[in-house]
Amino acid sequence: MALLETENLVKEFGGLVATDEVNLSVEEGERVSIIGPNGAGKSTLVNLITRRLDPTSGDIRFKGESIVGHDPHEVVQMGVSKSFQTASIFSDLTVRENAEIAALASEHGSFGFKLLEHRDSLTGVHQVARDTLDAVGLLDQADRQASDLPYGDKRRLEIGIALAAEPDLLLMDEPTAGMSPEETEATVDLVEEVKRELGLTFVLIEHDMEIVFRISDRIVVLNRGQVIAEGTPDEIKGDAAVQEAYLGGVEL
Amino acid sequence: MSDEPAAATDGETGGSFADTVGIWMPRGDELRVMTATAVVLAVFPFVFSRMPVVSDLLQGYQSLATLILIWGIFALGFDLLLGYTGLLSFGHAAFWGGAAYAAGVFSQHVSGSPILMVLAGTVFAVLLAWFLGFLSLRRGGIYFAILTLAFAQMMFYMSSSPLAFITGGENGFTGVETAELFGLFPLESELPLVLETLLGTWLYAFVAVIALLCVALGYRILHSPYGMVFRAIRENEQRAEFVGLNVWRYRLMSFIISGFFAGVAGSLFVIHGTYVPLSSLYWTTSGEVVIMTVLGGTGSLFGPVVGAGVYLYVENIVSGGHPFEFVAPFWHLILGLVFVVTIWVFPRGIWGFFRDVRDYVTGGED
Repeated sequence: MALLETENLVKEFGGLVATDEVNLSVEEGERVSIIGPNGAGKSTLVNLITRRLDPTSGDIRFKGESIVGHDPHEVVQMGVSKSFQTASIFSDLTVRENAEIAALASEHGSFGFKLLEHRDSLTGVHQVARDTLDAVGLLDQADRQASDLPYGDKRRLEIGIALAAEPDLLLMDEPTAGMSPEETEATVDLVEEVKRELGLTFVLIEHDMEIVFRISDRIVVLNRGQVIAEGTPDEIKGDAAVQEAYLGGVEL
Repeated sequence: MSDEPAAATDGETGGSFADTVGIWMPRGDELRVMTATAVVLAVFPFVFSRMPVVSDLLQGYQSLATLILIWGIFALGFDLLLGYTGLLSFGHAAFWGGAAYAAGVFSQHVSGSPILMVLAGTVFAVLLAWFLGFLSLRRGGIYFAILTLAFAQMMFYMSSSPLAFITGGENGFTGVETAELFGLFPLESELPLVLETLLGTWLYAFVAVIALLCVALGYRILHSPYGMVFRAIRENEQRAEFVGLNVWRYRLMSFIISGFFAGVAGSLFVIHGTYVPLSSLYWTTSGEVVIMTVLGGTGSLFGPVVGAGVYLYVENIVSGGHPFEFVAPFWHLILGLVFVVTIWVFPRGIWGFFRDVRDYVTGGED
């Protein structure tokens, strides 16, 4: 059984069909990249899966269960986490608190009545937050205010928050957008490391073809809301339809 | 054995003592903060109204000291909502006034015990906050502010005429019958021995103990997971939802908690004045608590209490012609000037200014 499946997923904005009968299936442990030209419907697809948008028709199943009709926080609690395209962090909180918020949600659920319990007693939360910050290389900056971090570190923290939620499936929306080549390199290393250590399933949306070909097991190509090709990086490189639609016919 | 209970025991630091005391054990700097608060509460009425020289300069009086604490509790709870969760309610008069009426009516028909009156008023305020929060929190920002305002004004209207047979309408509720504390001590009577010099009346002691408990409660909430979640929601609501937190329920809890503090304060207000004015439900009361909180400094526990003190001082002392006789008729103007200048010069309020000074003196160490 696939970890994540979409079935004839359609999203229309007025007359515009952003996602057109998309059937996507992601197996456990797989790294799938979704690529496509601007306006192909990549972000819409991610927003549908994370329940930020309601589909016009079709179904989304996670671990065999339909998630259409669930709130975003419920989908996260089921194990789907998302890292945002921009550094969507809690600026006024410390780096450590940023990770702890996500760890709290994963360890103690979407809501609790622990309003009289001191934070110091939540050892599980502290451990997860610590491990996550260590994994993304921000542990030595844990007590800094998040807004003081340089941009690249903010993006790493963003990924850290997504990881601290302890997901089974991580959706990454252009994790290297706006990063310098060095930061990009470090982020790709991070993704590979996380994949190796945690055995996470990834769905990656990315513009940088170099990264896509390097870290994907499988690539799904979207154009005008439809899947036009699907396959291993090598298959996609050789696919004529993809080259025409997305790579502009340029020989790779 | 599973590792779940083991992890829980590891979290306790004080062995068997901590196990019995459980979550009530002071942690971190809670003991220090509580002690400091207790000391300030103990000397405040003396310095304010009886100390030689100082009290002559301040022109304070006992009853105002009590009133400052009561409004301080109200503002403290209000800031949990405004300063931490980032929600501006413009209808907190509903909880303050609602609790006042509830406690007053309770004293007339059930029991005049001050403790039970506070309990009754607070329970009423919490239930009301639950209900109004459930309806108002459907919308954010300005819509939330307007919805809370509208609900509070509905309450004002209800008590001014349709429910006048209970509330006394325009005249306010005059049937408050407060009994002795523990059945022994009349609240307006003086405390024995040195306590009389320090604290003055039983009423002040009663209010001060509750204020101390409220500070302890607020401080603990801010250092529980809730404090962190509230700030996270204020900072980035969408992200909070996308790490898997039920933002809506946490917001409702924040609203109910601030309603709880407003309820405690409103009940004490009745005991203090033995009267519920209709204006306690009016929108100006909601406005006053906003001004006190912002003046004192949002996002801090003690700032709003200081704000309440400054506000009430201008309203009660300066308006009476102190220190200058000629300013008395212009006290509203003075209050406006104090507010504008404070926010202009110290955007984070009076308490924010204190913090900046401390950081400057200690070199930024916390």
